[in-house]
Amino acid sequence: MAPADFSPIYLVDGATGSAVAAELRQEIGAAQLTDWVTKWQPAVHEIMRELIAKGVPQDRWPQSSHWRWDQKVARVSGLLAHKGFSVTATGVCQGLMQVKLTQSARLPEQHGKPLVYVEYLETAPWNRSDCVPVRRFKGVGTALLTAAVALSEQETFKGRIGLHSLPQADEFYQDLGMCDLGPDPHYPNQLRYFEFTAEQAAAFLV
Amino acid sequence: MKLERSKEWWIARAAREGNHVVLAGGPVADEERESPAELRSGNLERASLSVAASDAHIAFGRFVNLMRRSRGMGIEAFAEEANLDPGEVLAIEDDVHFIPEPRTVYCLALAFKLPQERLMQLSGLSKARDVGLRAQAVRFAASADPVRELTNEEETALETFVMILSKGNHSAG
Amino acid sequence: MPEKRTMTLNLTDAEMTALEELSRRKDLTKTAVLRQALRLYQTVETRIERGEKLVFENDETKQKAELMLL
Repeated sequence: MAPADFSPIYLVDGATGSAVAAELRQEIGAAQLTDWVTKWQPAVHEIMRELIAKGVPQDRWPQSSHWRWDQKVARVSGLLAHKGFSVTATGVCQGLMQVKLTQSARLPEQHGKPLVYVEYLETAPWNRSDCVPVRRFKGVGTALLTAAVALSEQETFKGRIGLHSLPQADEFYQDLGMCDLGPDPHYPNQLRYFEFTAEQAAAFLV
Repeated sequence: MKLERSKEWWIARAAREGNHVVLAGGPVADEERESPAELRSGNLERASLSVAASDAHIAFGRFVNLMRRSRGMGIEAFAEEANLDPGEVLAIEDDVHFIPEPRTVYCLALAFKLPQERLMQLSGLSKARDVGLRAQAVRFAASADPVRELTNEEETALETFVMILSKGNHSAG
Repeated sequence: MPEKRTMTLNLTDAEMTALEELSRRKDLTKTAVLRQALRLYQTVETRIERGEKLVFENDETKQKAELMLL
């Protein structure tokens, strides 16, 4: 996909339920990182201030508040094994995802077969139910996950994907029907690891 | 990679998301662990200070940006006048996590004719000693748009903030 | 999709056999196998340039052996 290229997609306005035209890009470029700095960060700071002031326990804080997308992108710049994706709506970046193409499946039935591994996936704070009472847009995370599965198909990985979920998102992946391989003992905080099989991926894309 | 699906397909997928949080990610790299680690340690007081320090830092970037623009100068021209590297000026204005060198803050203080110590506090180089300055900084940062031409209101806000920095007198809250 | 350029690759019997075996084992086309090899090679080279080392670790004995790359 050329830098100026994108797939037109739709999100749902969280307040009105109406469809909103959006763009799915296979890139995390300067425009997206600028939005992360100038729009996401101040919103996260505001949310954290409120959570602290209300005495909300730490396990209910947004679990990616310390992420540095500029560093994540810089670390893999120029490497063929990594790709970035972003969703834009109303001219603002709504979600980011970075994937890795050199990881292998762990599920016994597809063990050792390559998959698209979702290294990081995050939506803008105003789109997260753990940050705001009414989400601005729904469907951003799903759109990015769809992109990961579609990329897996394009790479002839048969749609297989894998990811480590942060605890706040475990339910989403379980509800999607992804295979839950349980807490990963090799990861700090023993994050749960999920995979899509080729069959599950095909059903997801239908 | 082109994804072609109907509008109805995307809407149905978004509805299926429900109110779930969608997030994925493994352990962070060492650089990210540095900031703001306090938020994950459970120390609320330190976390609160860390968030507040970030507010002052965002205000510092906005302040430098507005002062430069109020002089009608681009980044290169301003950097040359202030005897600074243009890349560092850009980083100060655009990167909320960037902490400048002390020499840079000294040059900015000279260029803006402001007390160096006040700018050091705002930039995050020295520990902020007065909560009032932080509160003023937050209010100032929220009022300033770093992209548009300065409005009359922004010019007034900038002048007021410069007075606060110059005199060291402020009203908290 | 970005423009693609074509390359002709001449392999020995042994190399083609290895490629076909990897293709079968990984459930990938031969082209996809070579693409994965390129990605891995680039990643390893980049990380070594950054000062990291690539090692194999014996799961039972925990002995480490460094993989040298030129």
